Amino acid sequence: MCHRWPPFAKLFAAIAMILAATCVPITHGPLVGIVACVIFFAHTLARIPLAYVGRRLLFFWPTLFLMAISLPLSQAGQKGWLLFVTILVRGTLSFSTALWLVNVMPFDQLLATLRRLRVPDVLLAILSLMYRFLFVLWDELDRMRIARSARLFRKPSLWETWRSAAHLVGRLLIRALDRADRIHGAMLSRGWDGRSRWIEQLREDRP
Amino acid sequence: MTDSKVTPASVAVRVERLSFRYPGGPDVLTDISFTIAPGEIIGLVGPSGAGKSTLLQHLNGLLPSKLSDTSTNVISIDGVPVSQPTISEVRRRVGFLFQDPDDQLFCPTVFEDVAFGPLNLGLTNDDARQRVCDSLASVGLAGYEPRSTLRLSLGERKRVCLAGVFACQPSVLALDEPFSSLDPRARRTLIGILKQFSGSQIIATHDLDVVVDLCHRVLLLDGGQLRAAGPTADILGNAALMERHGLEVPWRLRR
Repeated sequence: MCHRWPPFAKLFAAIAMILAATCVPITHGPLVGIVACVIFFAHTLARIPLAYVGRRLLFFWPTLFLMAISLPLSQAGQKGWLLFVTILVRGTLSFSTALWLVNVMPFDQLLATLRRLRVPDVLLAILSLMYRFLFVLWDELDRMRIARSARLFRKPSLWETWRSAAHLVGRLLIRALDRADRIHGAMLSRGWDGRSRWIEQLREDRP
Repeated sequence: MTDSKVTPASVAVRVERLSFRYPGGPDVLTDISFTIAPGEIIGLVGPSGAGKSTLLQHLNGLLPSKLSDTSTNVISIDGVPVSQPTISEVRRRVGFLFQDPDDQLFCPTVFEDVAFGPLNLGLTNDDARQRVCDSLASVGLAGYEPRSTLRLSLGERKRVCLAGVFACQPSVLALDEPFSSLDPRARRTLIGILKQFSGSQIIATHDLDVVVDLCHRVLLLDGGQLRAAGPTADILGNAALMERHGLEVPWRLRR
């Protein structure tokens, strides 16, 4: 049912949940529990399957873990570990909330709402372009991966998998830079002069 | 169809002794001169790496990356020299279609993408909306405005790109490999659309059958030099010339 809320309500609900998750001290167990329950409830309301959230979290946790693990290593005693747990819990809750938001709000609606909140056009243009080309990049990565496995006639070892993944990411970066160049050329060709008019003028009254 | 209508008074595109190299690299283009008359359709042919795309990118000032402030008059469009002070005027006149439509479709919806050019030209929202409507209709995609640019077939994406170019009402079209990877139907549709366009066109392509169908004249580029220029049938029908530059006489001109 969250899907039909007014756009502002959805955005503010998400911001409120993230603020709550990041402001409540981790030592206040019950409070943290309440916040977690609210976020969980929001997912249930929006009928987002828990398995879906879990799968996304599995990708997110290793990164979060790497960020957090430096703290107990650098800070002696209990304080370091407390910070470690804090980051894990807050990261998980905020990430789940962000997942909730992108699932209840179509991306262009999110952009329109942010624009009405006077978020700078440059940021909106970056978000808009990123959303557009994420899929193009993903397709490109997929093609390279298939081409690679087509010539790999056995199951790769873990080391080989990681190594080839690193190569693919490197190639993808170079291709992405080339593409960015061409996109810039295409924008210039149609009279772009650095102002994001297509965001400025069109969000309010599109067909 | 083969007569060239070039008169000194009316020239849509003039290129005079154009040479270009990337910094520190070998010459990509050497001493290229030609003119295009208004309404004329030119086929730009040659093997891969001949410099076709590089030449096209000069026509609307995407190359060289630093344009001269003072017009050296190497290239002019409708009499307007391609130089830094006139660059927006030049780009308004030259519509550029990129080879990969994904490079050109950067907005989330078809409507926003086609409206991008008109809005940059300073049109009001209502005028821009009208332009979008008209140019989508002219490529046979009326009603596609709210569609996402991610969920279109390749042929449709090319046509949306072309609508975005038409929406700026250019007098010259520069098309880089417009027919590559299109299925026959999408290719036929695109040819039909290009035939409707009233301005001049320069089409870089490997699809020589389309060139026979569409183009009044042909420029043959190889190794960065203009090797031959003339009426389509004369150039593409010359087996010795075509062979020398790694091309083939198209089926329709054989025998």
